[in-house]
Amino acid sequence: MNRFLSKDFLSGLMFIAFGLIAIYFGQKLAQGTAVRMGPGYVPRMLSYILLGLGALICVVAAVSGGEPVEKLKWKPLTMVTIGIVCFALLFERAGLLPALVVLVFISSLGGEEFKLTEVIGNMIVLAILCTIVFKVGLGMNISVIQGVW
Amino acid sequence: MELLNNLALGLSVAVSLQNLLYALLGCMVGTLIGVLPGIGPVATIAMLLPITFHLPPTASLIMLAGIYYGAQYGGSTTSILVNLPGEASSVVTCLDGYQMARKGRAGAALSISAVGSFFAGTVGTIIIVIFAEPLTRMAQKFGPADYCALMALGLVAAVVLASGSVTKAIAMVFLGLLFGLIGTDVNTGAQRFTFDIPELSDGIDFAPIAMGLFGIAEIVVNLERHLERGGAIKVGSLWPTREEVRRSIPAILRGTTLGALLGVLPGGGPTLGAFSAYTLEKKLSKHPEEFGKGAVEGVAAPEAANNAAAQTSFIPMLTLGIPSNAVMALMVGAMIIQGIQPGPEVMTKKPDLFWGMIVSMWIGNAMLVIINLPMIGMWVKLLTVPYRYLAPAILLFCCIGAYSLQNSTFHVLQVAMFGVLGYIFVKLGCEGAPFLLGLVLGPQMEEYFRRAMLLSRGDAMVFLERPISLGLLITTALLLLLMALPSIKKARQEAFTEEEG
Repeated sequence: MNRFLSKDFLSGLMFIAFGLIAIYFGQKLAQGTAVRMGPGYVPRMLSYILLGLGALICVVAAVSGGEPVEKLKWKPLTMVTIGIVCFALLFERAGLLPALVVLVFISSLGGEEFKLTEVIGNMIVLAILCTIVFKVGLGMNISVIQGVW
Repeated sequence: MELLNNLALGLSVAVSLQNLLYALLGCMVGTLIGVLPGIGPVATIAMLLPITFHLPPTASLIMLAGIYYGAQYGGSTTSILVNLPGEASSVVTCLDGYQMARKGRAGAALSISAVGSFFAGTVGTIIIVIFAEPLTRMAQKFGPADYCALMALGLVAAVVLASGSVTKAIAMVFLGLLFGLIGTDVNTGAQRFTFDIPELSDGIDFAPIAMGLFGIAEIVVNLERHLERGGAIKVGSLWPTREEVRRSIPAILRGTTLGALLGVLPGGGPTLGAFSAYTLEKKLSKHPEEFGKGAVEGVAAPEAANNAAAQTSFIPMLTLGIPSNAVMALMVGAMIIQGIQPGPEVMTKKPDLFWGMIVSMWIGNAMLVIINLPMIGMWVKLLTVPYRYLAPAILLFCCIGAYSLQNSTFHVLQVAMFGVLGYIFVKLGCEGAPFLLGLVLGPQMEEYFRRAMLLSRGDAMVFLERPISLGLLITTALLLLLMALPSIKKARQEAFTEEEG
């Protein structure tokens, strides 16, 4: 197993990446002095600490090795993420019901078993439940189907 | 006498019909998610945070607290009946609880754990009542430098007691602090890391982040693992035998003490309490060989400990405004949503909320015994609902909850983004809890840091000159040093391996 593909080494890289991103996007923020700190003082301090810690984690991992990363399974992650994004796009434009149907359908595809009748049953139950809880019960300002209700 | 007055005030708030109903609702939801593996209190509370905006402050906090300790009760049911931990804190209950169930003593195991939990919850509540006032008085003397040091200690201690790599957990804290800075700088009005997104200028909302990190990422991981459930075992008689009672009483007492102590520590909380109580029982027992084969002490002690710890973990949050674990971080968030700044002022400015919440916890614990024992059949039925029905439902509630924060789909997209990030964290063995603590404390800590430095004219020595701050920082440094010692490092590793195994 490649020692650079260990959990520790990669997480070190992640921290370094976040540190660099913060430094890059925080460039324009005034640093100020220790007495009158500008908006950039603390972010920059934190970024440097992150860079340091990330580097430390990487070095330790490269020297002593570590647990390899588990194999990624793309299907659940992609389906769940696409489902949420579709929900976000549909919710205001089309309403709760279409967004719900799409989210439940796509995210159910992410599981191992997919039975259409079960998924449709789930949609019906959830649609009724959400309408009662959020629209009627909590009186939230959402439309079930845009333009209709 | 003042104490009794306070309790009377709390009682009058807690027994109002509205608050009783929300306590019951919280306990029911808590038991439900406790029973169901694959969804924990952190994800649930994050999901419900936006909804609490529509409720009065006291009712919303009472409900959220109910979810948290209700989950400790519900978790044990799943552990005992199907050998799957409903909650992280009931992992150890599986060991002996399930073995008792296989011997036909499931009912006894359930009632001992419920009664033990109730006892521990009561003691935990009493401890909060006793310590709340002196701690709050102490906290009112704190200056900015002291607060900054206290937060540093809280964050470091949370890291040390979390499982896994200390360095990674510290880096996660800093990452959380950094994310906490997103938004408009309070002192200068400058936009920081907002990328011209108007929704970010008020600061990053942590409800969508918590939903993403703990809810979505958990769903994805569970879908991957294809969460399997065994058939539930029959419950049988709820009455324990005289022998079982005799053996469990001292175990419950020890578990309660240990849990209450560990709960107060930052990063402690129910899981650590339960695990340590189990180890202690095994060491003290005359029959250590029975552990793992259905020893009643192995159920009684950890169940008492996780409940006692769940209660006492409210102490640092309520008195100092410092959350000791991820759930408490969300409770801090719930207070901020309601416009209450957590900290020592809560008790003096909002005594009805403070004492009402504490008294309602005890009432909630009493409700939970009833919810869990006579109604056990209902929860057992729920265990037969397959995960493939639950996952889309949880996702849906997260999405609607995130939307309702500010009626904006931006927050829903944020949930998706932090879901992906949370998944990466899980895969890289980085824990989400330190991140969340850093995120919640970030803005306050920066504020105190800048104020302390301004007051001292830029001299960082201020942190070492004030006795309180110095003491706290020394403790922090000692904790970090201890972690670096090889012998402790090894013992810590062993402790956590046993916990996982």
